[in-house]
Amino acid sequence: MLVFDSVSRQYKDGTIAVNNVSLQIPQGEFCVLLGPSGAGKSTLMNMINGVVAPTSGSVAFCGEIITKSNMRQFQRQVGMIHQQLHLIPRLSVLHNVLSGLLPERGFWRSFFKFFSKEDQIKAFTLLHEVGLEAKHLQRRASDLSGGQQQRVAIARAFVSDPKVVLADEPVASLDPTMSRSVLNSLKSAAKHRDASVVCTLHQLEYALEFADRIVALRAGRVFFDGSPKDLDLQTQHAIYSLTQIEEKERVGKRGNEVAV
Amino acid sequence: MNVTEKKWQDWPTHQVITPKRIFFILVAFILLSISAHNTEIDKAAVDTSKAFLSAVGMGDSQVLDGAVRFVSKAFPIQISERTEISRIEGLDRADLPWFAYVEIGELREYDALDEKWTIEQTEYLVEPLGYLKKVIIKMWETIEMGFWGTLISVMISLPLGVLATKNYAPHRLVYTGARFWLSFHRAMPELIIALFLVLMYGFGPVAGVLALAIHTSGVLGKFFADEIENAPNGPQLALKSAGTSSLKVLRYAVLPHVLPAWIAYVQYIFERNIRTATVLGIVGAGGIGMELKGRWDLFDYDHVSTILLVIFITVLILEFGSQKLRTKTL
Ligand SMILES: Nc1ncnc2c1ncn2[C@@H]1O[C@H](COP(=O)(O)OP(=O)(O)OP(=O)(O)O)[C@@H](O)[C@H]1O
Ligand SMILES: [Mg+2]
Repeated sequence: MLVFDSVSRQYKDGTIAVNNVSLQIPQGEFCVLLGPSGAGKSTLMNMINGVVAPTSGSVAFCGEIITKSNMRQFQRQVGMIHQQLHLIPRLSVLHNVLSGLLPERGFWRSFFKFFSKEDQIKAFTLLHEVGLEAKHLQRRASDLSGGQQQRVAIARAFVSDPKVVLADEPVASLDPTMSRSVLNSLKSAAKHRDASVVCTLHQLEYALEFADRIVALRAGRVFFDGSPKDLDLQTQHAIYSLTQIEEKERVGKRGNEVAV
Repeated sequence: MNVTEKKWQDWPTHQVITPKRIFFILVAFILLSISAHNTEIDKAAVDTSKAFLSAVGMGDSQVLDGAVRFVSKAFPIQISERTEISRIEGLDRADLPWFAYVEIGELREYDALDEKWTIEQTEYLVEPLGYLKKVIIKMWETIEMGFWGTLISVMISLPLGVLATKNYAPHRLVYTGARFWLSFHRAMPELIIALFLVLMYGFGPVAGVLALAIHTSGVLGKFFADEIENAPNGPQLALKSAGTSSLKVLRYAVLPHVLPAWIAYVQYIFERNIRTATVLGIVGAGGIGMELKGRWDLFDYDHVSTILLVIFITVLILEFGSQKLRTKTL
């Protein structure tokens, strides 16, 4: 389905954020990316929808390698919940969700915010599914609580019937109850539509609870890949204990890369 | 090692007056004096003092004479219109315009052949508020000029403004071209554009409207472009990475953000255009300025003061109104 083939990404300053990663994510899987801050989770994820391009290796989608020329077409099949949400603050909740449909709608209709009844009902369905109410529809996105904004972002990501949904720390700033309910919404929305989810999390417990599969990254490399059952305590600790040797190795590498 | 170390009593104290500073002050003084002389600041000082002295009865003053010449004829202001009846075609004496009446007056004419002044008795039609009405109509025309100038300016500057942004121009060359074009518009003052346009389109409001549109589109376009460039990138990235085309991203992720600032600025430009439109008539580009210039050249200062009063009141009303609007939209 979604295939990473020895993908690497090096930033201009020499940082190797993702280092030779190979992964296959089948259709309908809820895959959680774990790893300490700076491990390369966001970078890996952003290579799926073209925000970041791999410096070597390739990402393929339905057997087709993603290139610059067919990027648009892939982007339309990918929904994303960004780490900072990136909702449009002064736009209503309804139109924030509908903005996920823009790629498929004509310019002039879009310009005058003319969305068909079916489109709007689709948005209503999603908003209802993630637990928002009719009174929220016309509110500005900036006038919602953090958890509600999170839900709007989920609804926007799903509105275009994507085959893959990327969620970058969707529960980063929420309390535990809210986090569970947001993750539940995300998982059930994906299950209904048979969409794969790639989701980064910082909380191990949620990963164990929700994931079909866990991929742990450390310093840009895959450190663990398997079902939550196989993730024993020792490995769990190891994920977050980036050793000083590794850190030095990375810094040293960065220096070398720059010199070359 | 501490060879250069001094005792603390000998540490250097802070000096306020140094030769360097004295030199700089001297140079600045000389440059300012030269510039002041070029712009007749000295003459202004002398003549103004003379005017004050003359006002308390000491000596003559050209400045005061000028002011007196204007003021003595400017009041009372003239709001009525007198027209020779012989020049009005098809006047129905039984059905005069509102409040109008007929008056017998003297018509003085200089006969160049006899080198004599001839004085004739003629009838005049007097409309008590006729001139005020005429000025108000002219003022309305001026406001309309400001309105259309602003509207056309927005129509020019919107597309140019979008092309003048780094993130939405299709090419760097287009960006540079649009920026240059906008500065070109900005760099030409309205009065100078109006001079040219009067030559091309003839006397009248067209020249004024286009002059306003051309100059202010340069100002507005730059403002639009800067606002777009400063809009937060996150929402734009979110839509773009879902495969949305640039124009739609502009409409959904940028426009809602920049619109309040745009509206405030367009409003300011509209206000400014009306103020500018009042003087464009001086070069024949329509509006109340044409009437002002005509009356000024005939030394009809009482009419001039009516015009000035109407302009003054209009500007006050506009400023008050737009302040109200601004507090409402923001
Ligand atoms: N635009 C960039 N330019 C240079 N370096 C970058 C850039 N973006 C990310 N990096 C570096 O790449 C590495 C991986 O970053 P990434 O954002 O993928 O981490 P992450 O796993 O998502 O971390 P977090 O959990 O904190 O979000 C980091 O060392 C980061 O500093
Ligand atoms: Mg991240």
